[in-house]
Amino acid sequence: MRLLLVEDHVPLADELVASLSRQGYAVDWLADGRDAASQGAVEPYDLVILDLGLPGKPGLEVLQEWRAAGLSMPVLVLTARGSWSERIEGLKAGADDYMSKPFHPEELQLRIQSLLRRAHGLANQSHIEAAGLRLDESRQCVHRGDDEVDLTAAEFRLLRYFMLHPGRILSKSHLADHLYDGESERDSNVIEVHVNHLRRKLGRDAIETRRGQGYRFTGDMA
Amino acid sequence: MKSIQRQLSIGLIAMLLVVGLLLAQTSVWLFDKSLRSYLQSGLEDEAQTLLLALVRGPEGILLDSTRLSASYQRPYSGHYFRIDAPGQTWRSRSLWDSELKPSSTPGLQQALGDGPQAQKLLTYRGDYQRFGKPLSIYVAEDYTPVLKSVRRVQQIGLAMGIAALFVLLLLQRWLVHRALRPLEQTRKQIAQLQQGQRAELDNEVPEELLPLVGQINHLLAHTEETLKRSRNALGNLGHAMKTPLAVLFSLASREELVQLPEIRKNLEDQLEQIEQRMGRELGRARLAGDVLPGAYFDCDRELPSLVSTLAMIHRRDINLQWHAKPGLRLARDREDVLELLGNLLDNACKWANSQVELRIETTAQGYCIWVDDDGPGIAEEKRSEVLSRGIRLDEQVSGHGLGLGIVRDIVEAWGGSIELEQSDLGGLRVQITLPIRPHI
Repeated sequence: MRLLLVEDHVPLADELVASLSRQGYAVDWLADGRDAASQGAVEPYDLVILDLGLPGKPGLEVLQEWRAAGLSMPVLVLTARGSWSERIEGLKAGADDYMSKPFHPEELQLRIQSLLRRAHGLANQSHIEAAGLRLDESRQCVHRGDDEVDLTAAEFRLLRYFMLHPGRILSKSHLADHLYDGESERDSNVIEVHVNHLRRKLGRDAIETRRGQGYRFTGDMA
Repeated sequence: MKSIQRQLSIGLIAMLLVVGLLLAQTSVWLFDKSLRSYLQSGLEDEAQTLLLALVRGPEGILLDSTRLSASYQRPYSGHYFRIDAPGQTWRSRSLWDSELKPSSTPGLQQALGDGPQAQKLLTYRGDYQRFGKPLSIYVAEDYTPVLKSVRRVQQIGLAMGIAALFVLLLLQRWLVHRALRPLEQTRKQIAQLQQGQRAELDNEVPEELLPLVGQINHLLAHTEETLKRSRNALGNLGHAMKTPLAVLFSLASREELVQLPEIRKNLEDQLEQIEQRMGRELGRARLAGDVLPGAYFDCDRELPSLVSTLAMIHRRDINLQWHAKPGLRLARDREDVLELLGNLLDNACKWANSQVELRIETTAQGYCIWVDDDGPGIAEEKRSEVLSRGIRLDEQVSGHGLGLGIVRDIVEAWGGSIELEQSDLGGLRVQITLPIRPHI
């Protein structure tokens, strides 16, 4: 999952980037509203965390521009202005959720998880479930029936993405776009390695390879 | 309260009465005076005729009655005389059995003398010498007909004066009403302002009113501007404080601190206290309360977006309904109302199982707001405790309770009251009654 964090307060951004990375998200950080408006429109972000008081361009305007351009990624607005009239404005501009500062990091984590689930049609579930697997996002492991399968951070990231897109063919470059932030090296071989690791843990047919097209998560436990 | 109309009427009546009475009295007096001086010359002539009618007789002076006018012969004719000579007095026959009283001063008598048959007599005394003897000749004429006609004139004058006064009063009322119409219009506009039906007063007023209306409009704009500025400043302050607080919260939940649970707990408690206190005080400082007379909250326009905001925040399948008469406007600041309803509904959504209902109604005394939910509710004996919680911030249970603090602040700033009751839906009902804004 690749997230865009737009926040001009550097210490907070540092904290958020660190904690979000620990939770297995690839995070790009921007501090200026104008940069956010252009980069958010180009890069395939799965979710945006947007502060409203931004230099360059106010967050609400950035959001309105995105929505006007037809971008539909979930946007979580983060702001110190927590009055109801401002919340209403934020949601009118197209925000999907609203969090007032200060907030507990766990709450932000839960909101992000639920926003992502909702964006992928799992609105009423408290966990990501697909093909008999249940992902525990806080402990970064996966349950298959009563068995618990431990995952490395990279495997967890990959499996989460697969489980949010069950049955869809995902190319290596698509996976790389969504699993790594804008600054890290992209080596499609790394993805291949992690896919193999997942197959070893979950079963050969859990992820099938479509030659020349990419991978497809079936969850087949055979 | 003094009415300009009434004051003007009283002033006009008093003025017209004084001037009218003065004028009437003066003209009567002048009329009387000129009539008397005209009659005086006639009486003088009569006296001289009488003087000539005195002839020398064999035993002194005689009055030659053939030379007297007939009216002196007819009893009570209104024409009388009396001639005083040393040792002798002649009286006109017309006096019959009454007496014409002699007076001490010559010329026309100021006071009217009493005559027969209640007549009032204008009397002239002429002093002469005839046949070597001093004579005093009194000639009198009945003045009653003149008095009568004077009284008649007075009566007619009075009637006409009253009629004129009445007409003038009506005319004045009409004029004043016309002249004060802009004032009345402004008064109506101020009433509309207070009911939130307009934002400022109309500037199309006579120049006498323009400074007043201009000043009121200026004050309104100024108050609104100040409120906006202070809200903005508070927002900035909040932003400046809350972002570092968010950093601190994040730091407090770091892995490293998991090893030191006591320190972490302490840190989080303190941070939470700061957050609570700041949130409450900033919220309170944002309130407009009653300072903006032109403010209003349009239910039809604001409630749908508030409801969809809540639905988005809570995301559970809560059936959130609102009922308000179409076109209902609360004469309160928009942000204040949003804050009040937002907090109440947010709270209700947190506790409700599936249903939340908002009702806003106008009553004779003002407005009534009900927020109902089908949640667990609050036991009757605990309700007052829940309400009183939040009077003092340090008594508040952090993060829990009903979050009624800011709601209480708002209701108090509006001079309203808040009550917790059993809801028909099964949960809690919060009932808020607001007075119509008091008239200035």
